[in-house]
Amino acid sequence: MALTTEEVRKIASLARLRFTPEEEAALAGQLGKIVDYIDQLQHFEAGAPPEAATGAAASEVPPVPLAPIVPMAPMAPMAPMIPMIPPPALLPPLPPISRAAPEDDDVPRPCLPREVFLANAPAALDGFLLVPEVRRTSTADTRQVPEARPGVGDDQSS
Amino acid sequence: MTSHPDLWELPAEELARRIRGGEVSAAAALASALERTARVEPLVHAYLEIFEEAARVRAGEIDRSVAAGKDPGPLAGVPVALKDNLNLAGHRLTCASRILEGYVAPYTATAVQRLLDAGAVIVGRANMDEFAMGSSCESSAYQETRNPWDVATVPGGSSGGPAAAVAAGSVALGIGSDTGGSVRQPAALCGVVGVKPTYGRVSRYGLVAFASSTDQVGPIARGVRDAALATQVIAGHDPMDSTCAERPVGDLLATIEEGIAGMRVGVVKEIDVVLAAQAAAAAATTPAAPAAPAVNPVGGEPAPGDMAASFRGALAALEEAGAELVEVSIPSLEAAIAVYYVIATSEASANLARFDGVRYGRRSPGAASLAEVYFDSRSEGFGAEVQRRIMLGTFTLSSGYYEAYYGKACAVLAQMRAELTAALGRADVVVTPTTPSAAFRLGEKVADPLAMYLSDVFTTPASLVGLPAVAVPSGLDGQGLPLSLQIMGRPFEEATVFRAARAFERQVGWQVAPRFRGAEVAAS
Repeated sequence: MALTTEEVRKIASLARLRFTPEEEAALAGQLGKIVDYIDQLQHFEAGAPPEAATGAAASEVPPVPLAPIVPMAPMAPMAPMIPMIPPPALLPPLPPISRAAPEDDDVPRPCLPREVFLANAPAALDGFLLVPEVRRTSTADTRQVPEARPGVGDDQSS
Repeated sequence: MTSHPDLWELPAEELARRIRGGEVSAAAALASALERTARVEPLVHAYLEIFEEAARVRAGEIDRSVAAGKDPGPLAGVPVALKDNLNLAGHRLTCASRILEGYVAPYTATAVQRLLDAGAVIVGRANMDEFAMGSSCESSAYQETRNPWDVATVPGGSSGGPAAAVAAGSVALGIGSDTGGSVRQPAALCGVVGVKPTYGRVSRYGLVAFASSTDQVGPIARGVRDAALATQVIAGHDPMDSTCAERPVGDLLATIEEGIAGMRVGVVKEIDVVLAAQAAAAAATTPAAPAAPAVNPVGGEPAPGDMAASFRGALAALEEAGAELVEVSIPSLEAAIAVYYVIATSEASANLARFDGVRYGRRSPGAASLAEVYFDSRSEGFGAEVQRRIMLGTFTLSSGYYEAYYGKACAVLAQMRAELTAALGRADVVVTPTTPSAAFRLGEKVADPLAMYLSDVFTTPASLVGLPAVAVPSGLDGQGLPLSLQIMGRPFEEATVFRAARAFERQVGWQVAPRFRGAEVAAS
């Protein structure tokens, strides 16, 4: 199944990536070929639906004998968030990596000191990460920029 | 300083023994390794950075420790190369990506800390496929690493830098990460030993995440004993990684020489079918490869039957060593690549969301809004293969496709887990070739991502199911390039896998002696 450039553009928007029209066309072909290959999964088990299934059909996969340890279900990419930074006064120095017995309780413990963390930040101000304004104030944008508007591309963030 | 031109050739175990005993100094061992590196690095390009000064300081500390009557540990003074996705505090780390240009590790990975605690000397960060995504090291944003056996061929990937460094004699040990074969495949292509420990055996704290359900840190060495020693050093519980198991590691060297008389070795019966399908796929795609007109008359095209013949020879060697061969069946082997590339790219698309130009790494200088910071930094910072995998993973997780791809891949994975569990009930270990072919030529598969992915057909099952697996050299193909046997075992039974690997190594009598074909150098 070849992907359309429209589909490529939509996926790119979800992944916070942007491509030139030439790259979109190339990706449509490459991804289409890979998707064709992984489509063999649809035929793998007897009784599997012959066509790419929607959720209802695929959920009829028979149970397997062993309790499967399913890999951690990853979340769809979402808009990155700025982590909360605790006040500096609460941050003791990072201890050496413990070789001691594992912690049994879910208790707070020291994390990376703020100044160490911010040393890698592209821009910081007064102990905070600095970014351009969230909403653009300029008007027209002639490039193929999928805007991260509220509601677009964030629909899988839960 | 006395020159010890042959110290670089010693196994890590022997080198550490001499240094602990005061026979040679860590400084001399490092000097030998650096001399050797200066000689081979212009041919191989294994390193992104050599920590020469820091390594000298460290070697001096080891020597002072020995002089003071202390024991620096089982890797005392052993030079080690790190894949560039393992944090070492105060040193740069890029994952061979532009998006991490300028990043300095703020802390040290647990596996690396354990190497340091055992006395190792970290000599540099070695090249890799960008974010560990690739099977040839060609997706590195910085340089192409060459295979020491033939510098016109790839070293494999993604841990191609550490594998090439170990094979070329620069260091006795390399530490890589293996998500779908990224330690075993380059070890196979470079004619050295590569280990993918059981999922949960080694902490991933401080390893940059790619696919969290399969990522594992593993060593590369010139022999099985060194590989077991390094695994022993880095393994064990770590509260900083909640997936790291609270199980004792034991002594992986205690039983390693006991041989495999009476051991049941499972032979996967679907291997010939998979090898034939791969050869057919290679024949179909080779004419389209851009490098096809420039076939090197010295290297030539790999003979598709080489691996099948080598594998039969490996089975005969195992039998001669006393193993009992039993046939096992893994029908899902054919689907391994499809399952892996759905699950791994799905997880990668989520894991790599953190590279956003906000918290660390490269920010696009022209970005005028927060959305542009995200889009521009990621589009400019990630290379083509990483973008392709993020796109594939975003697609397979997207609404309307999730059940058909991610859900289905998990169902087939459950079947694969059941098949391998059954196989490892009948057999103590299960063997396959590590790769479907020997090293391929630089550029040969760059234009065809799917052909590149197929390199991982035999390594992905152990990753997906979380089993320990060791790649051991099994001989040379018709072109003089190394081939490799993969030995998989039951979860946390590394000791059994190493015992089988060591018996096989002894039977084959393998010597790591790359010839640097295509480069004018005396490699001795």
